[in-house]
Amino acid sequence: MLKLEHIRKQFEDKVVLDDINVEIGAGEIVSLLGPSGSGKTTLLNIILGLTRMDQGRIMFQGQDLSNMPMKKRGFNIVFQDYALFPNLNAYDNIVYGLRNKKGSVSQQEVQEYIDFLELQPHLNKRIGELSGGQKQRVALARTLVTKPRILLLDEPLSALDGVIKESIKQRIQSIAREFKLTTIIVTHDPEEALTLSDKILIIDQGQIAQFGTPQEIVHHPSNDFVKQFIIQQLHIKRQNIYNLFGEQYA
Amino acid sequence: MHNVKPEMRIIYTVILLLFAVFLFLPLLVLLVRSFGSDQGFTFEHYVSMGSNREFLTAIGNSVKISGVTAAITTVLGFILAYSIHCTKIYRPVKGLLRTVIMVPMLLPTITYGFAIMYSFGNQGLITRLVGHNWFEIYGWNGLLIGYIIYTLPPVFLLMHNAFKYIDKKFIIVSKLMGDGTMRSFLNTIMRPLAGALGGAFVLSFILSFTDFGIPASVGGTYPVVATQLYQVMLGSIPDFDQGAAIAVIMLLPAVFGIWLLNYLEKWNFHYDKLSDIELPRQRVRDIAFGILSSVIVLGMLSVFVVMFIAPWLSSYPYDMAFTFKHVRDVFQSSDLTGVYRNSLWVALLTAVFGTLMAYGSALLNVRTSLKARSAVDMVSMITNTVPGMVLGISYLLFFNGSSLKGTFIIIVLCNIIHFFTTPYLMAKNSLSKMNPSWETTGELLGDSWFKTVYRVILPNSASTVIEMFSYYFINAMVTISGIIFLVSAQTSLVASKIKELQHFAKFNEIFVLSMLIFFTNLIIKLVCDAWQRRTAQR
Repeated sequence: MLKLEHIRKQFEDKVVLDDINVEIGAGEIVSLLGPSGSGKTTLLNIILGLTRMDQGRIMFQGQDLSNMPMKKRGFNIVFQDYALFPNLNAYDNIVYGLRNKKGSVSQQEVQEYIDFLELQPHLNKRIGELSGGQKQRVALARTLVTKPRILLLDEPLSALDGVIKESIKQRIQSIAREFKLTTIIVTHDPEEALTLSDKILIIDQGQIAQFGTPQEIVHHPSNDFVKQFIIQQLHIKRQNIYNLFGEQYA
Repeated sequence: MHNVKPEMRIIYTVILLLFAVFLFLPLLVLLVRSFGSDQGFTFEHYVSMGSNREFLTAIGNSVKISGVTAAITTVLGFILAYSIHCTKIYRPVKGLLRTVIMVPMLLPTITYGFAIMYSFGNQGLITRLVGHNWFEIYGWNGLLIGYIIYTLPPVFLLMHNAFKYIDKKFIIVSKLMGDGTMRSFLNTIMRPLAGALGGAFVLSFILSFTDFGIPASVGGTYPVVATQLYQVMLGSIPDFDQGAAIAVIMLLPAVFGIWLLNYLEKWNFHYDKLSDIELPRQRVRDIAFGILSSVIVLGMLSVFVVMFIAPWLSSYPYDMAFTFKHVRDVFQSSDLTGVYRNSLWVALLTAVFGTLMAYGSALLNVRTSLKARSAVDMVSMITNTVPGMVLGISYLLFFNGSSLKGTFIIIVLCNIIHFFTTPYLMAKNSLSKMNPSWETTGELLGDSWFKTVYRVILPNSASTVIEMFSYYFINAMVTISGIIFLVSAQTSLVASKIKELQHFAKFNEIFVLSMLIFFTNLIIKLVCDAWQRRTAQR
């Protein structure tokens, strides 16, 4: 279980995060949802250990991680642009971290990840030769073989187009279930957040607007912001779909 | 941004210390010495310069000839760049022009002078081909030809880059809007290039103003600032304080010029999106520019031809029998081969450690969040400003009496600082374009910072590192102004040896040594280019 207590962060005079309190259960998928500049990426970086917080505490399985450096926390992230190393091919990217932790993962386990993410045909390709979805899966594999205690994903779907988006979404869900991996996702797209995650943390101007399951958010929005920016957007989308397919598909 | 690690702080401190000791302190000492005397602070050295008729003439001469050089070179550079970018000359010809124009950069400037003498002198190759003496080469004419050849390659490069950022679609738009040739040319070429043209002029001016090799060889009795400075420092009655004052005077136009260069940068157009577009064919224009630019490049090359012929003849131009004698003599002289070996070592050490230092500085500046990391940007502006001779003199004053005096270390360090700006900017440019999350990713995958740099950052900037290496090597091999005050009998280099051989009129040796430098540089350049292409392809 990951517990964030009274987290506060400011850059110069601007308060980016203010008094954030959240509990995330083991194996849950949680989305951090908010407009750009809301502080969601900062929160993700604080959990990762990349950004220092000014106040507050991070507890993980009863241990205080607040002052623990990034490398020791045992969390890992897939960046929005994947940050794959172009001088190495797909396979060498996947096993990059294993050289530093010899013996922690067996060859067989690596192969399991590769099969699970259906990367076998692409292993010898250079990064430039991979499609967006393939890159995403290579980056996921590279992160997963290090067996992170929590998986962080920064806008994992924003660089992908239509059909691939849906398949990666399913993939993320099955990863979380298969490996019982707590997964935290940053996104600005309400539809993505509500269809992908078990719980959603909506952030507005550095503060929690609502934290709950998709049903709670849709049926009991806690304030105007959630209504205006989250629900309203979904209504418009629904209306557009209705207009296309006709009401009978509702 | 990635967190700051202690090892980053250590490296950065070392780099700043190096700059403090090998750039700031020597320059400070130079400034102090220029005001120094037995009685303390004084303007005496500056006042005596003002009353020294010969020196005032030298300044006037330097300004005049640098100005004329800059004007001519800017026009020539423009013609070449225009031919390559805005005409439909046969493509391989363009490639050839672009490559051949760089040839002078592989030779020390002092060699230019001797090549000019052997080409245009009374018995010169070109003189004999033409049948009569064109002009007196010692003094104004020789200097002018030398400076033009010397500054044309960098001026061309500057212009060539500026042309890359011009959107050629505007040429088409202007034509479609019904503009005449003149208006179209002014609006779509001249106006966007205004900054670059000014920059080219300033660059050519500074380079000519501060070069030592060319006046040292063909200056004759025409005094310029560089030769005055040399005489005051290493002449029959050396006067270091007076030399320091002259060096400061030499620094001033450079400072002003660099400031102007940065200012002119604002004049340049920056189109955000560039697209390639087919240019309309225009026969007259293409043929005219094709011929014009070929003449410029061939004319430049023709001056060097003699250098590759004379040493193979028994006594050019009187006895034209082919012989290996001169070349063999050089290779059998332990003195000369030793000098060549020295040059090779200095160039190699400069290239290795210079690349390391420039790369390290750029890495820490662009890819970390160290405090005060941009201090190196300021340093790189200063190293860009200080002429080689001024840096050399400040070393001479600062390290005189220290154990570094007369060592290879001081020569290598002088070269590293002198040529720091360009490789540093190359590295900065390449490193800033890379994904900013690589270090974080590497760390999460268990790497130390060094390990990520070695396994990821370095392989992905290999092409730039090779380019930096080649730049440092070639410049260290040809520079004379930077090292002329620092070499000793034991650390003599080819470029300074040529200056010495001049006294004994040993021109065959001079040309053989120049050929050695030329072919060494050519090999390095070709190998590095090929290697670069290979890494870039991956």
